[in-house]
Amino acid sequence: MNTFIRIALVLYASLLPATAYAVSEITIRAASIEHPQLEAKNASLRFNLIKPNSNLTIGAELKPEVDKDWTTLQIACTLTQASKPDAMDCGEGLIKNAAVNLPFSFEIQQLFNQGEFSLSKLNAKASLQLKNASFSDAAGLHAAEKLNGKVDIAIQRQGLSWAWQTKLDWQTGELFWQPFYVESAGHQLTAAGALTAGVLDVHRAHLTMRQVGALDVSGQLRLSDLKLIALNANLPNLNLSAAYPLLFKPFLGNTAFNNTAIAGYASLSLQIQNAELKSFDLRLKEVDVADIDQKFALYKLDAEIPWSYDKPEQVSVSYKSGSLLNLPLGKTNIRAEVNRFSLTSPNITLPILDGALNLSDISAARIGGEWYWHLRAQLQPISMADFSHQLNLPIMSGKASADIPLVTYSNGLLSTDGSMVLNIFEGTATVTQLTMRTPMGIAPKLNADIALRNLDLGDLTRTFSFGAIEGKLDGDIEDLELQNWKPVHFDASLYSSPGRYKKKISQRAVENISALGGGGAAAAVQRSFLRFFEQFNYGKMGLSCKLRNDICEMSGVESTPQGYVIVKGSGIPSITVMGYNRTVGWSELLARIKRVTDGNSKAVVK
Amino acid sequence: MKKILASFVLLFSTLFACQFAVAAADLEVNTPAISAIKGSMQARHGQLAAHYASGAVGLTKDGLIAVRDANAVPLKDRASLNAAVAAENADRSKLYKEIATANGHPEWQPEIQSTFASRWIDKAQGGWWYQGASGWVKK
Repeated sequence: MNTFIRIALVLYASLLPATAYAVSEITIRAASIEHPQLEAKNASLRFNLIKPNSNLTIGAELKPEVDKDWTTLQIACTLTQASKPDAMDCGEGLIKNAAVNLPFSFEIQQLFNQGEFSLSKLNAKASLQLKNASFSDAAGLHAAEKLNGKVDIAIQRQGLSWAWQTKLDWQTGELFWQPFYVESAGHQLTAAGALTAGVLDVHRAHLTMRQVGALDVSGQLRLSDLKLIALNANLPNLNLSAAYPLLFKPFLGNTAFNNTAIAGYASLSLQIQNAELKSFDLRLKEVDVADIDQKFALYKLDAEIPWSYDKPEQVSVSYKSGSLLNLPLGKTNIRAEVNRFSLTSPNITLPILDGALNLSDISAARIGGEWYWHLRAQLQPISMADFSHQLNLPIMSGKASADIPLVTYSNGLLSTDGSMVLNIFEGTATVTQLTMRTPMGIAPKLNADIALRNLDLGDLTRTFSFGAIEGKLDGDIEDLELQNWKPVHFDASLYSSPGRYKKKISQRAVENISALGGGGAAAAVQRSFLRFFEQFNYGKMGLSCKLRNDICEMSGVESTPQGYVIVKGSGIPSITVMGYNRTVGWSELLARIKRVTDGNSKAVVK
Repeated sequence: MKKILASFVLLFSTLFACQFAVAAADLEVNTPAISAIKGSMQARHGQLAAHYASGAVGLTKDGLIAVRDANAVPLKDRASLNAAVAAENADRSKLYKEIATANGHPEWQPEIQSTFASRWIDKAQGGWWYQGASGWVKK
């Protein structure tokens, strides 16, 4: 027999003479009690039997084997009425150690129905009131402060099971239970159920979260391994703006959705059986969601998203308007079929500006916690004027369209098979080998090859206020890599298109091109006698740049011992523009282009 | 014995080869990705600096940061503290990877990370906590 039980027997033995011989007070003290799981010291129990104020005081310092700190336990109770010998009112209770300070009061209204003092007839009613309680675990990840709340519990023995009812009223205080933080209280829980053979049955539980909404739950939990045998949960009307910081944000961590403003209502019901999600039904009603950093927004979002483990379901999502990376999105309806962990849809049309992005043959699957998907994408012509305006680019004319037979997303990488054709400046820009990594993340990466054909130099130079050039431009930008939308690597060459057409270059453009090459003597010499001509003829022009490590290695259409030819003259009056700097810092080159296109400062030509 | 000696020589030469490789790495290399990550870390530093000073957050020996003592922070700020630490660590890991990639040697990431670990600790202000060989140390 262990020590703990031996002490309990001593206590029992000393109570018997108390009733028989009208002892007025019983005091038991133990300096130290030892048990494999629990140590106690300075334990005292004082039982004052003088009616009508009979009372019980217990005090001890306890140390469970797993802890290193002692915990003080104090409780003082009055045994109120003679008519109810099983009632007890403990007004001043305290559990206190370094991490926990739990002042409480505790009241047992009854333990048994009158006159039926047998465990099989148990009918207990008790309540516990926490008074400014606080606790914290060592890491501070589960903690509460100034907690005031009341718990009412009732338990009845019914045959082989225990029936229970509880009511929890969280009055004030704050709680952090990693990753959740709940403050300002005003939340209530009522629940009833039964406990039978180690299975906790919740017949009904109703949780009201202030401002957020109400949750109804029923289910069964096996206590030995905390296995959810069954759970039905129903959130009929969830206020998303109040629920987002409380319930969702803790789970969104580093995702693109962790910094949004959201308004509107949602309802959710879900069923779990044998610890597996069997089905859910999520509805969104008139939800507005906007990223605070303005990466995306969707307005008047409605959704019906049923899901079942056993059978395919039809999903529909629609929104009235929105934006993605500054591009406005028009009214959209999306329908898809979900079949367990995969999603398919024959066609989704996303209106963008005056065109639309058509996605077809969509198929997505979630495997091992990662999304994989592929689809065919077609961009119906959108106006470049609108597009460039929305992205704060110089206003371009023309249309952009694209046809990508296969877009795949796997392991965070978006890759394309096929080409995107932009009809701009009366020519074409063809983007191939496009891949993107974490487009919404902090350092998005884009790789592509771009081929420019027959761009109208007149349009182009007007758009970028470069000084007029007449002619056509081809270009190849290969192995382009953008990081955070800024170029870090490419092999680019721009050159006049082959073929016969009018080739004229203005005095101003000559100055600007010379300025891009880093300033040169050639133009200056020619300017001396050609300065009176507004424009010149050229035979061909070209400029290329290999960007590596922020340095652009430049060349032109021909190499000369001193440098390279950017514009080669032809006819009368003709002009030849030379470049002399073979390497230019990329940021310096950008600064020069900006100076030129801003037109604020005249290019320096010596 | 000879075999052991030979393997020691081999081990040391690999160690030194590694050190030499990292010594050759340009830790100040800059790409738009690196500057975006640094910008994001810079923006977060204002939020974290107070936590370094209070001891709530410390510098780990592997070049990341960790919540050392959440009790130094009011309850309502603990979730955002944990989120900031997680976001900072995601940025730091990405930074080491990008610096290794920008040096043309993605395989250098572990060495770059440990070089940064000692750099962060050297640069830490007095009163901040860092992880020493045998636990947390106040600088």
